[in-house]
Amino acid sequence: MEYKIVGHNILRVDGLAKVTGKATYPEDLYMEGMLYGKTLRSIKTHAYITVDTKEAEKIDGVIKIFTHKDIPHNYYGVLFKDHEVFCSKKVRRIGDPIAFVVAITEKIAEKAIKAITVEYDEIESVFDPVDAMKEDAPLIHDRSNILYHYKLRRGNIEEAFQQCSVIVENQYKTSMVDHAFLQPEAGLAYMEGDTVVVCAATQYPHFDQLEISEALNIPQEKVKIINPAVGGAFGGREDITLQIHLALATWVIGKPVKTVYSREESFVAHSKRHPMIMNYKTGADANGKLLAMEANIIGDTGAYASWAINIMRKAGVHATGPYEIPNVKVDSYAVYTNNPFAGAMRGFGAAQVPIAHEQQMDMLAEKLKIDPITFRLNNCFKLGSTTATGQVLEESVPLIQCIEAVRHKLNSKANDTEGV
Amino acid sequence: MDVNKTYKGVALQEVLTLLQQHENTSKVIAGGTDLIIQLRECKVTPQVLIDVSSLEEIKGIEIIENRVSIGAATTFTQLVNSPFLNNGLEGLKEAAKSVGSPQIRNIATVGGNICNASPAADIIPPLLVLDSELYISDINKSRTISLEKFLIDKGQVDLKTNELLCHIQFNNIKNNQGLGFSKLGLRKSLAIARISVAVWVEVEENTYKQVRIATGACSKLGVREREVEALLLGKPVEEKTMQLGAEALKTQLEKRLAGRKGMEYKREAIQGVFKEALTKATYLSKT
Amino acid sequence: MKKINLKVNGVDYSVEIEEDVRLLDVLRNQLRLTGTKEGCGEGECGACTIIMDGVTVNSCMVMAFQAEGKEIITIEGMATKSGLHPIQRAFLEEGAVQCGFCIPGMVLSAKALLDKNLTPNREEIREAISGNLCRCTGYNKIVDAIDKASKYMGKEGDVNGI
Repeated sequence: MEYKIVGHNILRVDGLAKVTGKATYPEDLYMEGMLYGKTLRSIKTHAYITVDTKEAEKIDGVIKIFTHKDIPHNYYGVLFKDHEVFCSKKVRRIGDPIAFVVAITEKIAEKAIKAITVEYDEIESVFDPVDAMKEDAPLIHDRSNILYHYKLRRGNIEEAFQQCSVIVENQYKTSMVDHAFLQPEAGLAYMEGDTVVVCAATQYPHFDQLEISEALNIPQEKVKIINPAVGGAFGGREDITLQIHLALATWVIGKPVKTVYSREESFVAHSKRHPMIMNYKTGADANGKLLAMEANIIGDTGAYASWAINIMRKAGVHATGPYEIPNVKVDSYAVYTNNPFAGAMRGFGAAQVPIAHEQQMDMLAEKLKIDPITFRLNNCFKLGSTTATGQVLEESVPLIQCIEAVRHKLNSKANDTEGV
Repeated sequence: MDVNKTYKGVALQEVLTLLQQHENTSKVIAGGTDLIIQLRECKVTPQVLIDVSSLEEIKGIEIIENRVSIGAATTFTQLVNSPFLNNGLEGLKEAAKSVGSPQIRNIATVGGNICNASPAADIIPPLLVLDSELYISDINKSRTISLEKFLIDKGQVDLKTNELLCHIQFNNIKNNQGLGFSKLGLRKSLAIARISVAVWVEVEENTYKQVRIATGACSKLGVREREVEALLLGKPVEEKTMQLGAEALKTQLEKRLAGRKGMEYKREAIQGVFKEALTKATYLSKT
Repeated sequence: MKKINLKVNGVDYSVEIEEDVRLLDVLRNQLRLTGTKEGCGEGECGACTIIMDGVTVNSCMVMAFQAEGKEIITIEGMATKSGLHPIQRAFLEEGAVQCGFCIPGMVLSAKALLDKNLTPNREEIREAISGNLCRCTGYNKIVDAIDKASKYMGKEGDVNGI
């Protein structure tokens, strides 16, 4: 059968606009009489705040300065509504938004930001998620810092470890990672009759609409989101950054308002990849068959939950790697700290655990004196395998072919030496 | 940014007059690749900017008798492509080539790299081992000073606000001399040097007759390593001599960076970087 | 305020500028040539790359007043009336474009290379785009595209496109 698309080279629909420079990203939008918005952000990790905008408001060219007092419903968030649009009483991380200045030029907005005084009454911060799990740790929100605990149990690991002839036990840590998409956050909002329109590069336009309508306490049909060209995202644009600020400003002032983040502000404004602390114990019998695995995984979600629950669940589900292990015990946690908040990023929790499970595999193979590729082939998922969560893999599990292809490349002397 | 007046200089006299007039409020801009960032972060706050990037009198490379003269507004790309620099000076070209990215090398200048006086400035170690002299002018007079004396501290140089660095000069390299450079950065492009080493040698009868060594990013500014130089003087060209120098540099760094983070790493890494630079310099002195 | 004269994509402009703005700001905000992008504002990413007097520069690292009298090419100056520039065509065909934000800078770095060297090897291509970051592609397809463009441009007369 001949397909129209599969098997053919197809030009991207937006490719032409992008190679000619005509593609419109939000910062490329300009409107007559538009104003500029700038965000004042926390410079402390954990503190009660008192904000005074009086002097800043007197600056010529400042139209309005928005704070928590101006927002009808001061909360948002993809899973939990644990972010405030503008911090009211306390800040929980560096970069928490406190105020939004709207002025006739960007320069004046910047000047006004500097003229706002914020008094920080600092409270104890916690940066290590292990410390944050302790009883006496400072609370980031008005509830336990442990916001999620995922449990996976299969078979009986105690008995199985007794039967193992080799066991390796290690701790692995991964670091925080930023998406560093090339286009920093930008947006333009304007009124279209009595509807507020927000043009912003986002991964979640329909959800932005819902969040804006809730925060502003206006009907959803009065909010329109336009998603122009997006300069990369990789998960980093799933959480709201400037959308509510722009919508609020335009809704109140009635004029178009534009905001473009600098690279520095972009770094503090959006989520990060969850750093994880992974304690692994894995055992196999003398023939090189995996028998048991125990994993305890702690994910640092920073000051806000974002997608922590889905991500730490995914990390837990994928903790075994693509291997058949009859006895498994996994506990994974999402923990609040005063670090930058973590959320979606390529792989969504499945990218961290291979650091641990693959090194465990290498070490077991070494102890067993089995070649690491053979050891993996002996244990990897194939058609009909049952995963630790009880899923039976019924279709397309081409892992063995994949590993064989890697082995073939490794062995072939005629390697292409060019780096990636 | 407080800048409210700008001048694009086209003649040296005019620029020197402007510098005199705006002595306390101005800043010279050439390539701008360091300055514009500092301006935007309000780390420097001049009201007046005087552009020297189009000043033909201080651009380009010349050989005057046995001296090489580099105009301060010469870009790194011009330096890399210069037909006037012979093979023995490969280390100078290599240092120029390791600066930033093509876009940065196309506009950033040798003089700017010197006057910005970053401890990690790529062009400073090779110019130090060439015993470079700087030609500086103000509206009334000119003076010369060695590059080594010109560098006072991190970001600080012996240049008055009414003065302009015009040229950099050094003795051209002879057949039995060679200049090698090696840099350790986090990646190939756009990497600020973690360590850089320049080595200049004169070899006679397989012996180091003269040795000059300078390091970058191993102190608050680029420095000559005179104690190590003295150790290698008169020694034969062989592995043992190289090892001697590497270990001496390690000791220097242990002393200089004691208690600072990165010391353990740098004292090991510098040995390999030094060996590479010395090997290149020695090779060039023989070809 | 001050007036500067520029030639951009073959057109002469006389622009009234604030003295503290960058060339990038003038191109985008005043001439509305928004194909030139700002990704970092400090010369790391190359999204604002333009060609000035024949060489690539980061337009975020040039003060506007310094550009007096300069001849500038931006992405808007690449395509001709009869079609895409071969570099643009190759980028499109090779799937070198994803989010697109780095592409204007990449195309101009490629042009600066191919204008001087019509038969670059892959190492030279990588060197030429070493000041341009792409977060989507992993660069291989961009290198493929520039390689393909060099072949298009090598064929005499084949400078226009689709």
